[in-house]
Amino acid sequence: MTRADPDAGSGGDALTRPFTPGMASNDPGLAELTETVAGRVDIEIVDRETREFVEEWRNASYNCYSSGHKFCREVCPVMQVTRNESWTPTAFHANVVAMERGELDVADVAADYVNCTQCGACELRCPNTLFTGDFYRFRTRTVDVVKAVRALAVDKGVHQPQWQSWNARTDERTHEPVLGEVAVSQDTVRDWAEGLDIPVGGETVLFVDCEAAFYRTSVPRAVAQILQRAGFEFGLMGEQWCCGGPAAEMGYVEQAKRFARHNLDNWRSTGTRRVLVLDPHDYISFTEDYPKYFGDEFDIEIVLVVELLAELLRDGRITPSVPVERTVTYHDPCRLNKRKGIWEEPREILRAIPGLSFTDVDRVTQWSYCSGGGGGLPVEKPDLTAAISARRVDAAATLGVDTLVSACPWSERPLSAAGDARDIDVVDIHELLAESLGITVGGSRGEVGDRRSAGGCGGGSCGGGGGCGS
Amino acid sequence: MNRTNGYRYGEQHTPPAPQRVSDVALTTFEHVYEVDPRLMERWVLQQTFPNWDSLRIMNARHDHLDWMHRHFAEKVLTGSELLAEVDAADSSPDS
Amino acid sequence: MRIVTITPERLSTEQVDRVVERLRTVLRDEQILTSKTDRYNRARVPAPFPVHRWAERVPDLAVLPTSTDEVAAVVRIANELRVPIVPRDGGTGLTDGAVPLRGGIVVDVKRMNEIHELDLENRTVTVGTGINMLKLNEQLARHGLIYPDDPASYPCSLVGGRIGTSGWSLIGARYGHTRDLVLSFDHVLPTGEVIHVGDGIGGKISKSSSGYQLKHLFMGHQGTLGIATKATLKLYPQPEAELSPFWAFDNYDDAYRCVGALARAGVATFAGAVLFDEWKVAYLRRDDEAYIPQPADVRALVCAVMYGYEDEVRPAGRRLFRIAKEHGARYLGDEISEGDWAARHDRYATPLHGRTKAGQVVPMSWHCEDAAVSYTRVPAVTKAWHEIVAGLRRRTDVFDDWGMFAYTSADTGVDYLTEIDIGIWEQQLGDEAWELWVQAKRDIAAAALRHGGSISACHGSCREGEVDLVPQELGRGFEVMLDVKRTLDPNNIMNPGKYLLDLAYEPGAATALAALRGGSG
Repeated sequence: MTRADPDAGSGGDALTRPFTPGMASNDPGLAELTETVAGRVDIEIVDRETREFVEEWRNASYNCYSSGHKFCREVCPVMQVTRNESWTPTAFHANVVAMERGELDVADVAADYVNCTQCGACELRCPNTLFTGDFYRFRTRTVDVVKAVRALAVDKGVHQPQWQSWNARTDERTHEPVLGEVAVSQDTVRDWAEGLDIPVGGETVLFVDCEAAFYRTSVPRAVAQILQRAGFEFGLMGEQWCCGGPAAEMGYVEQAKRFARHNLDNWRSTGTRRVLVLDPHDYISFTEDYPKYFGDEFDIEIVLVVELLAELLRDGRITPSVPVERTVTYHDPCRLNKRKGIWEEPREILRAIPGLSFTDVDRVTQWSYCSGGGGGLPVEKPDLTAAISARRVDAAATLGVDTLVSACPWSERPLSAAGDARDIDVVDIHELLAESLGITVGGSRGEVGDRRSAGGCGGGSCGGGGGCGS
Repeated sequence: MNRTNGYRYGEQHTPPAPQRVSDVALTTFEHVYEVDPRLMERWVLQQTFPNWDSLRIMNARHDHLDWMHRHFAEKVLTGSELLAEVDAADSSPDS
Repeated sequence: MRIVTITPERLSTEQVDRVVERLRTVLRDEQILTSKTDRYNRARVPAPFPVHRWAERVPDLAVLPTSTDEVAAVVRIANELRVPIVPRDGGTGLTDGAVPLRGGIVVDVKRMNEIHELDLENRTVTVGTGINMLKLNEQLARHGLIYPDDPASYPCSLVGGRIGTSGWSLIGARYGHTRDLVLSFDHVLPTGEVIHVGDGIGGKISKSSSGYQLKHLFMGHQGTLGIATKATLKLYPQPEAELSPFWAFDNYDDAYRCVGALARAGVATFAGAVLFDEWKVAYLRRDDEAYIPQPADVRALVCAVMYGYEDEVRPAGRRLFRIAKEHGARYLGDEISEGDWAARHDRYATPLHGRTKAGQVVPMSWHCEDAAVSYTRVPAVTKAWHEIVAGLRRRTDVFDDWGMFAYTSADTGVDYLTEIDIGIWEQQLGDEAWELWVQAKRDIAAAALRHGGSISACHGSCREGEVDLVPQELGRGFEVMLDVKRTLDPNNIMNPGKYLLDLAYEPGAATALAALRGGSG
């Protein structure tokens, strides 16, 4: 028996035949079918800010809620270590729907939204992004929803205590308090560059994020010296403030915008047209937050250093020649691989370094990897960050490597701590490239990095005596 | 410096001119299909979508599909080769 | 018509406090979740859900046990206090086994995701049921092995949920479905006792004829008979080669004849074939880059997939290509064939597929109504189901027809997982539309039964609407279900309200069943 029906095509209204809605050739009878079913009764949300929040994000959240497939879950770094469904991207969207229905309010949900590193894995892995996001110009927006809920919480006076204090100190010092009790300030933001003779201002400036400028200073030192080696001209910012990204991530929106305005104005004041960025978090701020704040006014070119270095390598302007005897794997920083699709250039650089034994893990597998260092998580929940880092380093350990290479200073502190427990060094890709160019980098690789370097370089050559907490 | 891969706001918000492929779909970049925007004017409005994001998603999709193949099997056999063998056998004189 | 009306009695705050107090004697505080978000986010699954009545489905609390002993301790307390238990694994099911209907305690097994033992000699792995198949296979790949249970939720569903629903696998024609792949498991009964379920002694035995065959009983019960906590699974070598040709047809009948011929060919590496009907092709033209540019005379599709060693798959592939050619198939090319197949391991629909009849994009929830239908009845069921959905669309834009697939379930082509995909616009869903939907589900189930099919091949049949026809489908077997339920769960604490099993505890059950059997359809 088959379905062939001698009467097919005759009889029956427009709905008895298959059609693609929106096609010009569709049966005009479709337009005659009117809605006969009463829609549901919407709930009135009294609080204005909550109402506006819900109106802005309801479609984005329904786009998750109404799919319910949860492909995000096993790539979510928080979910992988907590196995708690309340702290999944799906829950973060469902809560918005529940707020629309008047079932939950911001005070009910705020604390849950701490549990996100804003790594973007969920957004990318979601079929609503991966399979149809480009088609509809409408994709999963978990990171934005998390930021918006955090902002609403701050707006409504529902603060997370550590974030409140962190941002207050950042506001006071114009930099994040990455050294704890040790003050960070405008006076010391360029200390990392001591002895490198870098001018201030100019058409191109190198922006150095707080963690790199004050804590892992070997990273900016490596970058600056590689660029100098290549004969690439750049200066430092006149008066550099924190990019504002972390404040935006934690919900302190007004502060984030104020910092962004300062930095843009400062670039203008030094005639700067181009900003080099070595930190993936800054790269997100400058290519996603600043464009939202400033629109067409934002005419600064933003260049990611790791991409620039790959190009200098291709052009033969730098040639790594000093063998680096390490067995490494590469950690794809979330904000490069997942959120920006940048994964080839770091591998290009690693493959150009002589002496390295490089065991790669592909970029798609790494969608489920994270250091736990992003989105303010280590400020509010350091134990959770440590657990995520431990999981990441465990994955590296199964490869039998002695070194995990990252390209993100914010990942390197928690990864270093986790690596120390497994005797794995955590090295920044810029540090490694500089070493292979014969550069004595100097600066600090952070507490763990300096200790491991001092103690015999933990399985690899340590790239210059300067890397020992000088 | 003659580099071109930096982020520039103006470039990112200027997509290629769309080509129509059906009553409901267009193409912009190579391999990127998009809904006819007239279908997203009432209930769901399109998001601001810089070029890098469309390309990131399209590239990630291909990488993901390749990954899925590798996850399930070491290699993918090519259907067109087998079809060519079947066709050749059919058209050979002894068939 | 609603025969069984339940007025759920919910626990008072004091009762919940008492339950929490008792649970603290067997769990750490952080394993006991009581906040509103903890509860609201364990109330639903992707099955049709009346969003406007969300609050009715919210549990009183959730627990995150980490071992069989902890699960058993929780269940014992619940049984003693007569508090409902709802087992929750991935919560990715398209039926609503994991949705609490009476509040109570959600037992969320996601933390039980360890690999306990990998036995390379016997080719088994023993895992906690909270593990996901894709994550498991990432580990097994190092040993060249695979656990080939491959639902559309492959990257997110969990082994325990596959047991609780007796899942269906896309490549089941080659490797078997969950029931074939799970050798044995530890299972916590509604009384808190722990049994080991398998063929005979269980363990690493694939076939025994000792005693009753209890494994099937404790699979697919939708959490009404207890909680699987630790399972031993059958492993295969990771395939060397994959082949997944897609073919186009200018009419449904040719495609239908072709899929039947492919499935009946008896090719050993054959892992499955799928038939896409004309509605499905029209639907794919909305937004699928593979099908938007296809010429208008592409109206139906068939794909087949094979896994094995290359020297097996090549000749098998030639055989299937020849069969397809004889049925007038046009090969769609390597790019579409490879790309589309790879996307089928995580093929949940996305909401923006939804359209009003005029073509505007609206976010719709995907509802896959499935039945197990023998090959010769697939066309008639297909026709009947589209008519039901057309009836819904004639009245409202809340519902949308996303077309139909028929997938081979077995390696001989005897029966097909026949599914119609329906979009539901949840933002507009109110009581009136929900009632229309529930009646449509009854009609869909009735059409399957009328054609000798079973209400569900893969999801389960306990959702509102369709469940009313289960006593008709199973006949006297349904009364056996009630007897089993009453015996194993004397206090009706295990997922109460599902599958009409409350009738096991009601004196008037016979009358209610007679009414259901006489009045439905």
